[in-house]
Amino acid sequence: MNFESFFGIIQVFVAIGLVVSAAAAIRFKNLIAAVLAMAVFSLILSLEFYVLQAPDVAIAEAGVGACLTTAMYLLAIKNTTDEEVIE
Amino acid sequence: MIEGVFFYSALVVMIGAFLALLRVFFGPSVPDRVVGVDTLNTLVVAGMVLLGAAYDRTIYIDIAIVYALLSYIGTLAIAKYLQGGLR
Repeated sequence: MNFESFFGIIQVFVAIGLVVSAAAAIRFKNLIAAVLAMAVFSLILSLEFYVLQAPDVAIAEAGVGACLTTAMYLLAIKNTTDEEVIE
Repeated sequence: MIEGVFFYSALVVMIGAFLALLRVFFGPSVPDRVVGVDTLNTLVVAGMVLLGAAYDRTIYIDIAIVYALLSYIGTLAIAKYLQGGLR
């Protein structure tokens, strides 16, 4: 197997994972499950930056997506209610 | 050809990560999804190390180290939220 076919297979896997996790982050009703799906999306996006050979962008994306965004969203969900307000 | 071996093993690890992504997507409860995300983090770190060996760049291993640390912090934040201790 040469480099180009391997690169294409990895790109197909990463693209399917990105689409699936993005759809899950939008469609989940449970807010904790949506935050988990968003963390998975950030992880796969960081892997995509890694595969495309941009290591500094991958480090920044991993730091922001895995640690900061998850903790901030969890703090926001903790301090609010997860029910829709019906007027 | 030693790099082809690393390409094959990285592809096998990616298939395992895809199965863990299915667990995140179809998991009936939130702790199932947390365990799926933790498995996905570990498999992607392993895939990043193998891809760093396949690309033959030493600097790419640092991203795997950073992500192994940050995924631990993210999983710990979600676990503390589910326990009820997140302030």
